[in-house]
Amino acid sequence: MKTLTGPTHIQLTINGEPRDVFIEPHYTLLDLLRHPLVGLTGAKPGCENGDCGACTVLLNQKPVKSCMMFAVDAEGKTVLTVEGLVDTPVQRAFLKHFAFQCGYCTSGFLLVAHALLHEIPHPDRHQITEWLRSNICRCTSYEEILAAVHEASES
Amino acid sequence: MTSIGANIPRKEAPNKVTGRARYTRDLYRPGTLYALIVPAHIAHARLLAVDTREARALAGVKAVLTGADAPFLTGDVIEDHPPLARDKVRYWGEPVALVVARDMATAQQAAALVHCTYDPLPVVNSIEDALRADAPLVHEAVGSYTIATPPASPRPHSNIADEANVTKGDSDGALKASDVIVQVHVSLPQIDHAAMEPRVATAEILADGRVLIETSSQAPFEVQKLVAQYFQLDPGQVTVSVPLVGGAFGGKASVQLEVLAYLASHAVGGRVVTLANPREVDMESSPVGLGLEADVTLGATQEGRLTAAILRFYLDVGAYADSAPRIARAIAAQCTGPYRIDHVHADVYAVYTNHTYTTAFRGFGHMPMTFAIERAMDELAQRLSIDPLDLRQRNALRPGDRTPTKARLTPSNLGSLSETIERLKPLIGWNGGEPYPVAPHRIRAQGVAAFWKTSSSPPNATSGAIVTMNADGSVNLSIGAVEFGSGAKTTAAQILAEALRIPVSRVFIHEAVNTDTDPEHWKTVASLSTYMVGRAVLDAAQDVVRQLKSLAAVVLRCAPEDLDYGNETVFVRDDPSIKLTYADLALGYQYPEGDSIGGQIIGRGRFMIRHLNLLDQETGHGRPGPAWTVGVQAVEIEYDDLTHQYRLLKAATVLDAGHVINPAIAHGQVRGGMAMGLGIASREAVRYGPQGEFLTNQFRSYKVLRLGEQPDAYLVEFVTNPQVDAPFGARPLGEHGVLAIGAALANALSRATNMSINQLPITPELIWQQRRNAP
Amino acid sequence: MIPWPVHYYRPDQWADALDLYQQLTRAGRSPRYYLGGTEIITMARTDSQPVSDLIDLKGIPEIMAHGQDGDWLYWGAGLSLARVAELDAWPVLTATADRVADHTSREQITLGGNCLSIMPYKEALVPFMLPDRVMIEVATSQGLMTVPLHDRFDGSWHLAPGEFLLSLRVLKEEARSLVFRSYKMTRLDWVDYPLVTVVVVRDPDGQIRAGFSGWGPHPLVSSQVNALLSDRSATPAARAAAAIAAMPTPALDDLHASRAYRTFVTQHTLALIIRELEE
Ligand SMILES: Cc1cc2nc3c(=O)[nH]c(=O)nc-3n(C[C@H](O)[C@H](O)[C@H](O)COP(=O)(O)OP(=O)(O)OC[C@H]3O[C@@H](n4cnc5c(N)ncnc54)[C@H](O)[C@@H]3O)c2cc1C
Ligand code: FES
Ligand code: FES
Repeated sequence: MKTLTGPTHIQLTINGEPRDVFIEPHYTLLDLLRHPLVGLTGAKPGCENGDCGACTVLLNQKPVKSCMMFAVDAEGKTVLTVEGLVDTPVQRAFLKHFAFQCGYCTSGFLLVAHALLHEIPHPDRHQITEWLRSNICRCTSYEEILAAVHEASES
Repeated sequence: MTSIGANIPRKEAPNKVTGRARYTRDLYRPGTLYALIVPAHIAHARLLAVDTREARALAGVKAVLTGADAPFLTGDVIEDHPPLARDKVRYWGEPVALVVARDMATAQQAAALVHCTYDPLPVVNSIEDALRADAPLVHEAVGSYTIATPPASPRPHSNIADEANVTKGDSDGALKASDVIVQVHVSLPQIDHAAMEPRVATAEILADGRVLIETSSQAPFEVQKLVAQYFQLDPGQVTVSVPLVGGAFGGKASVQLEVLAYLASHAVGGRVVTLANPREVDMESSPVGLGLEADVTLGATQEGRLTAAILRFYLDVGAYADSAPRIARAIAAQCTGPYRIDHVHADVYAVYTNHTYTTAFRGFGHMPMTFAIERAMDELAQRLSIDPLDLRQRNALRPGDRTPTKARLTPSNLGSLSETIERLKPLIGWNGGEPYPVAPHRIRAQGVAAFWKTSSSPPNATSGAIVTMNADGSVNLSIGAVEFGSGAKTTAAQILAEALRIPVSRVFIHEAVNTDTDPEHWKTVASLSTYMVGRAVLDAAQDVVRQLKSLAAVVLRCAPEDLDYGNETVFVRDDPSIKLTYADLALGYQYPEGDSIGGQIIGRGRFMIRHLNLLDQETGHGRPGPAWTVGVQAVEIEYDDLTHQYRLLKAATVLDAGHVINPAIAHGQVRGGMAMGLGIASREAVRYGPQGEFLTNQFRSYKVLRLGEQPDAYLVEFVTNPQVDAPFGARPLGEHGVLAIGAALANALSRATNMSINQLPITPELIWQQRRNAP
Repeated sequence: MIPWPVHYYRPDQWADALDLYQQLTRAGRSPRYYLGGTEIITMARTDSQPVSDLIDLKGIPEIMAHGQDGDWLYWGAGLSLARVAELDAWPVLTATADRVADHTSREQITLGGNCLSIMPYKEALVPFMLPDRVMIEVATSQGLMTVPLHDRFDGSWHLAPGEFLLSLRVLKEEARSLVFRSYKMTRLDWVDYPLVTVVVVRDPDGQIRAGFSGWGPHPLVSSQVNALLSDRSATPAARAAAAIAAMPTPALDDLHASRAYRTFVTQHTLALIIRELEE
């Protein structure tokens, strides 16, 4: 039985790098990632209530809202954050289509889109919508984001 | 021209797609303590006691502050606002205490241990409540507060925080003489800015007395000024820095958390304290956008010429005035919408309620104001059986006309509404506005609405720019405008690149603002950055060119007037082979022998808006802004008359952009505004319970538009009548997409349902309810 | 950020989970089971009631299992709603589960956590309230028990302290024989709590059964309502009206909808569904 009654270490892979990180049992995955010792602030706190998606990361390639799961639940798994995306089609398409303004929502959208294209390389509009409406963007009209994901899905 | 009119990517774009873009909460300083607001969970009460003993006793708690620790009043215009509630609580969510602890979790625990004793008071839960003769007073001292920035006219012994009036001509007489009169009452709830980044501020007081504040603010210079004022510091002691901001929409122009963060830091010996709003606190404790009740009476001739307008606007400003007096004047100044009406009387009342206080919201009052006018215009069109777009065309303001405040309109300061209307017709496929069935129970309809807006900025708003040249001839640009998504920094870089005739890639601009090193920019609001900062940048560029030329003239032994520049060189006009590169001159010129002259090229630019004045308190006359942006918007919907659900098919905007500096960013801004406006009109509302309980403090209850709910098509076009005093003729357009789109939606749905829908948000339930109540 | 320090346990066997729960309770602590954690975490953030101990049930093999067991289809309580939809073993469950929350959240929300959520909705539970034979597997101090759902859920759950849900089961034959519609009606937004979710099945005899989430403080099914809905002598509209009049409780009146509007929408949706099912 796994038991955590205080600060402890867990192992997981973050952006391809096996890590041994310090957590407290009540840390959410978002707390862990943004902790100064890990320093991955690409995942943003927007609501910490599962509503906005700004904190989305990929856990074993599936999008999850990192504010809404315990860090310990990521033990032994692979986590991909926006910092782990390097020159992906989705990033290129977001740049090309000006798919952000303030950029606060962007990491979340990128990761959902990245996971979508991994799972469904050529999604239809309905699938794109269904995945991406997990996230909120207050600045853009979503048109640019849709266009970007659409283009990335064709490449 | 290469930089102007090009789709230059945002300077910080690569950082934003890699998680490297840093916002206030991403910047960790060692030794940081965490503060948290303790919100009141009562809307109106005497605050008898705040018991902090239990909270203080918790291990890790460093301080617990209450109203007694902040014995002063704040307020941008009217000083009516204790930073922490004192004696009284005036809204649900009002900060009653501030806890400071070694970590966020401890702060959260401590917050739950602060106990307040209240003596409940009757709640002013609506404008109607507030205006009752026997209404409880939100502020007993309403008449005696200090007016920090006149004008403002609080009415003693009432809930009226301020009133502004505008009179032009004889509205009563003209109304009596009108062929037709329409009257409309509209009712709009408060709304939340809902920027994705909740507000956050960090403060530290150094041993030498310097104060470092890092904040998600649109107004770093205002923060500097007010913090210095409230705490009797020299402004130079206070350094405010703002990294990238995660959306603002006016909600981050108000100064709140910075004052609290300073108090918190002060209470713990000046240590770094971060005060980050959880979403719930951000919604209920920090300011929202105002609600409106308005009565619009329009008179017109049989031919549809507007003759008179009598307007009454009641703003639900919530518990504190904040910028309400400025907004009230902005509404008064543009009260007619973009139409020529010779006889106008408008009264605008800023009304205190026991609701969350309000501040600027994208459009600065013009969005709710426009809703009121544009609903009335559509009613008038219907009454007269005139095409609603034609009615607007017939009455569109034109150069030579005067505004309600009697400001004179010119081709430059107005642009052409008329042209935008003509362009809209083919864009949306205008069909005259008649609803038509497309299937059993399915009705399609179009609605239109027009807008105008000016800056309503203070007449002394100023902006600066500093350009320094690097050894290789590239330049660094320093400005005071905050980057919250509008592309302010990129636009400024484009303007500088153009003026120095260099590629944008040779302009370096840091994404942050720091009041120590960046020149003042009033506030990054009112879509004014392009105009004000742009003018300052042009001024600085001229200064750079002058310095380059005068140094080159010495070296090349000619008069500066003989020189021209381009391609990063300064050359003799009639023999371009005689030249020096910018790099040769950047840090002073060094002769082959080694001796040198000049020094670093440092351009300095500044700009102050001219010819504005405060509106006359009696007549309201005056000039509220340098220029207006006009435009027209349309929405096409399909309505199901069984379920009362509707679908958004098209949304269109044509606005007079003067000249578009960055089309991709401009289109994005306008479309984003439209999306926000459609969200506001269809689903957004701050809701209060019967005792003023704030009910919508999460995205689970405050719904904003998500992907999949947008119209099938966003159509945006620009007409381009330059504003001659603006950089490259560009008019402001950052806020404008939001202004009339909600009214256009209401107009389309009013037509489709054959009812007058004068309330927001227009949910299917609202339509159903109204249908049920219809006679 | 959860403000309270918690202890975390992940037992590998159901019996260990039960023991642990008892031990912790005896020690005066307040343990909670959890699966997806979406509710536990989001609520703990604003709760002033600390949770002291969390028992993560995801390490228990049975709770993560799914498949067929003789004539029965079964789903472990720990399967995420996304996984449930992906398995698509029972179309009405797929359709209903796939409308809970949003796509990303469904990777995290579990079937068991949704069924035992303290929110009124529990949408994924509604399909299980409709067939004749639905069993649940519960870990109890007497061992694993497989009992009819309605023994333990009649609007409220009746699980003794420490008991937990391991899996839900339906008879494959029956499940497959039901024609269904599952419509989630919201105030306006696709991603929202239900104003009402109406799940209707028709069995091979033409009998109609309807389950509702969002109508009241918990999901409900009423035999009287079902009888009225099944009365083919009346028009769908009349049946829907009669059913609404016979609902055991009045509709909720809340932020999402007024009572009257919720009633209107439910009635409209019922009529629409009956028409569709009988066309
Ligand atoms: C963004 C968002 C949107 C949502 N929208 C909807 C919606 O549209 N419709 C809807 O129905 N719900 C919705 N929900 C709420 C959702 O119902 C709950 O958050 C979710 O069902 C909890 O599932 P979980 O697996 O995360 O449970 P947990 O948080 O792990 O647990 C939830 C509760 O169940 C108990 N529990 C868990 N497992 C067991 C077990 N095996 N036996 C006994 N008790 C157990 C826990 O002690 C806890 O009290 C939404 C949630 C979010 C975050
Ligand atoms: S911060 Fe996690 S969903 Fe909003
Ligand atoms: S770009 Fe600002 S929230 Fe999406």
